[in-house]
Amino acid sequence: MNNELKRTLQVLIVENSDVDRAVLINMLSKAPYGSFQISATDSLLETFELLKQSVVDVILLDLNIKDSNGIDTLQRLHSRHPSIAVVVNTGEYQDDLGLKAVTLGAQDYLIKGMYKSYGLVKALYYAIERKKAEVSLRKALEGLKEMQAQLIRAEKMNVVGGVASGIAHEVKNPLATILYGVEYLSTVLKEGDDKIELTLRSMKDAAHKANSIIKDLLDFASLSDIKKECYPIEKTIEQGLVLTHHQCEKTGIKVVRHYATNLPDIFIDKNRIEQVFVDLILNAIAVMKNGGVLTIHTSRKNFDRSDIHNPSSLVETIRKGDDVLIVDFEDTGKGIEEANIEKIFDPFFTTHRAAGGVGLGLSIARTIMDTHDGIIDLSNNEDKNGARARLIFKVKGDCSGDNTYLNCG
Amino acid sequence: METIRILIVDDEIGFTEMVKLNLEDTGRFNVRIENDPTRAFQTALGYRPQLILLDIIMPEMEGPDVLCQLRENEQIAHIPIIFLTATVRKSEVNQESGFISGYPFLAKPCTVEELIEAIDQNL
Repeated sequence: MNNELKRTLQVLIVENSDVDRAVLINMLSKAPYGSFQISATDSLLETFELLKQSVVDVILLDLNIKDSNGIDTLQRLHSRHPSIAVVVNTGEYQDDLGLKAVTLGAQDYLIKGMYKSYGLVKALYYAIERKKAEVSLRKALEGLKEMQAQLIRAEKMNVVGGVASGIAHEVKNPLATILYGVEYLSTVLKEGDDKIELTLRSMKDAAHKANSIIKDLLDFASLSDIKKECYPIEKTIEQGLVLTHHQCEKTGIKVVRHYATNLPDIFIDKNRIEQVFVDLILNAIAVMKNGGVLTIHTSRKNFDRSDIHNPSSLVETIRKGDDVLIVDFEDTGKGIEEANIEKIFDPFFTTHRAAGGVGLGLSIARTIMDTHDGIIDLSNNEDKNGARARLIFKVKGDCSGDNTYLNCG
Repeated sequence: METIRILIVDDEIGFTEMVKLNLEDTGRFNVRIENDPTRAFQTALGYRPQLILLDIIMPEMEGPDVLCQLRENEQIAHIPIIFLTATVRKSEVNQESGFISGYPFLAKPCTVEELIEAIDQNL
C-alpha cells in the first residue's frame, strides 16, 4: 500500500450546516480506506486561526459559510494559504462554478448529495497529490525564472565584455593622439592666457576620463582572469579605504569601522574585491557630497534568507545555514529609489551621470561577486536615511584554521 | 648635440604625427614616421634609427611580424624596440614589469614624459 494511504490525514471541514458536517464525518469514518483526523469550523476567520495552530492536509470547503459567501470564500482562503489542498463541497450545482473553483485554486469540486464515502475519500487523496504536483511545478517555475534572470544578466556581461576589447583598441589610439596633441600645445602655448590653459586642461581631463571608461570596459573583458587566494577581508577593506582616503577627506566624510574580531580568511582575488570595495566607497561618496558618515561593518553568521533585501540578489551557491562573512557599507545619503534597486546593476545605468558616473561600477561589482560565488545586495536603511550595500562571502574550509593569508594550498 | 634617430611604425597617422611633434620639440630627437608596416623593414634599413617604436595591432602586418623581419637583417637586428599598444592597460604594464616576450612595451595612451623615459631607458 502507498505510504500516503497509511498516514492519518489531517482534514479540516469548513461547513455551515451541522447536518452536512455530520454527514461528512460519518462518511469519513466509514471510508473503505485511509484514516482521518478531523477538525471542523463554520467560519473563514476560525479557519485562519486553526491553520495558524496546526497542520492541515486538505480542506473540505463549503462556499457559503458564516462570514463568507460564494467563490469569494475560496479566493480568500487560497490567497492566504496557497499551498493547502482544497476540495470545494457545495450544494449548488453549476458546471461553470466548478470549473471556476478549480481555476481559482481548488483541486476538486463536489456537489453535496452526489457522492458516497468512496468518492469523497478519493477526492481528498487526489486533491492532496494534485496540490503536491502543483507546488513542485510552481517551485520549478520560480527556479527557472530565477535562472533565466541570471542567464540574461550573464549574457549582458558577455556582450559588453566581447565588445570591450574591440572598442579599447579603436578608441585608445585616437585618445593617445588627442593627449599628445594637447601636451604639445601646452608646451608651445606655455605663456598663453588663462582661457587657453583652461581649454587645454579641460581637453586633457576629458581624454583621461574617456580612457578610464575604456579601462572599466576592459575590466569586463578580463573578468574571467581571476587569481584567488586566502586573504583577510579587513585588510582588503583597509586597502580600499587608503585608495579613497583623499576623496573622503575632501568631501568631509567620516569613516566608522565596526570590524568583528577573529574572522577567518576568505578565498578571494584581493585586487578584484578591493575594486568592489573602492567602487562601493566611491558610490557612497557620490551620494554624500556635503559630508556624512560611512559605516563599515563586518560579521560572520549562518546565512538566512532575511539577510538580503532583494530576492534577485540570491545566488545558487549560498544556501540557508551556510557559514558566511558579511560586509556592510552604510552611507547617510538620500538612499536609492526603490524602482532603481534592481536596475542599478545594469551596465550603463547610473543615477549620477551628470557627476561623471558611467554606470559600469556596480555591474562590474556584481560580476566580480558572481565569480566569487558571493552576493551583492542593495537596500535602503530602515530606521535612518541612506543606503546599505551588503556583500556576502561564503566561508570555505580551505581558508579556515589560522589567520595567515599566505598559508593556503 | 647630435639628435637621436627614432623610427615610429604605427598605422595611426595622427598619433605618429603627435609623437613626432612632441619628441622633436624637446630638441633631442629626430623622428621618422612609417604608417605602412609592410615598408617598416625598408625604412629602417635606410634610416638606421637608434630606437624603434612599434605598434602591435596594424592592418596588413602586425607588430611582431615586423619585429621578426627586422631581426633577420644583421644591420638592423640590434636596434632596440619598444612596443606601443592600445590593447593593454597601464596597470598590466606595471604588473608584467613592462615586457612582451622580452621586449619593453608602453600602453597607449601614455604621457610624453613616460614615452621619453622609456626611450632613454632602452637606448
